[in-house]
Amino acid sequence: MSNHTRRIFPVIAFLAAAFLYAPLRSTAQTSSTQSSTSAHGDRWLHVRVISTNSKGETVRVNVPLELAEKVLPAIDHDRLHNGKVRVGCMDCDGVDVRTIFEAVRSSKDGEFVTVQSNDEDVSVMKKEGMLYVHVHDKNKPKHSQVEVKVPMKVVEALLSGSKDELDIAAGLHALAGQGDVELVSVKDDENTIRVWMDSKNVTTD
Amino acid sequence: MVLLGKIALGFGATVLLAGAYTFREGLIRVDVDETHGRGEHVHVWAPAALVPMAMHFIPRNQMLRAGEQSAKFMPIVHVVAKELQKYPEAELVEVQDGPQYVHIRTHAGKLMIDAEEPGQTVHVSCPLSTIDDVSRELASLAPAS
Repeated sequence: MSNHTRRIFPVIAFLAAAFLYAPLRSTAQTSSTQSSTSAHGDRWLHVRVISTNSKGETVRVNVPLELAEKVLPAIDHDRLHNGKVRVGCMDCDGVDVRTIFEAVRSSKDGEFVTVQSNDEDVSVMKKEGMLYVHVHDKNKPKHSQVEVKVPMKVVEALLSGSKDELDIAAGLHALAGQGDVELVSVKDDENTIRVWMDSKNVTTD
Repeated sequence: MVLLGKIALGFGATVLLAGAYTFREGLIRVDVDETHGRGEHVHVWAPAALVPMAMHFIPRNQMLRAGEQSAKFMPIVHVVAKELQKYPEAELVEVQDGPQYVHIRTHAGKLMIDAEEPGQTVHVSCPLSTIDDVSRELASLAPAS
């Protein structure tokens, strides 16, 4: 081996070693940030469905809100265009949903709807910037409970588009600005469904 | 003798650097194992670094056709792949339905899909950067709407 070759050999060896080391270092970095709380304050939307039937179905979905916000506008399918979904029933049977929401938004906290019957109890209330819908179905063997909790800002953002459409992208954006919140909870004799948002990138249950 | 040594060193360094580059970019891995029926086993391990390069050798008309056929969903794939690179370690979807199981996650910057059902298991692993590159290339070939 000549002197010249001897001189450049360590340089080549170093470059090769540095190149090889690059993925190991990035792996080490990523594994160190693998904790359940996301590193840079990302907001995650979680969906969990657990069935206690014979098949024992389980569904766990974790979606970064930022990803959903970016992907939605790219979808152009059926009723979904540019992050907005067209709904044909924003003026259902002469009931203007927007006007009702506007009335709820500008009114003080309180229970707006209470229906109690032998079959089910339904209540809709507004409290501390949240809209709550509670349905208690008494017909099933184990009474089913549906609880929906939506920040008013999110509802406002959803209805911020033009008439007959829901601005899902704006709703997600508004949701990202909220703290940890359980949005939907459904419990009946067979299924438990939860939809919630937090800063953790894994489902802890 | 010195000349041969230089050639050997140059060849060795090239192989080493090419190997290092290949490992740095990662591998695309597809494993399909059937225990029922014909009992096929398919195992494909390909360096991800080769895919963007190989795309340049595909005939232009074939690429245009692929771009046309994937025009509807490739921009979505591109956005998903690009965004998922921000989440190199994430559990995305896990579905257990009796004996059927699907698990989609990212690990070390790769998209990993595991699917199992009686008699068949499928494991796919692909670097997100490769999906990003390929989807961007195909999306750029889609006819303007």
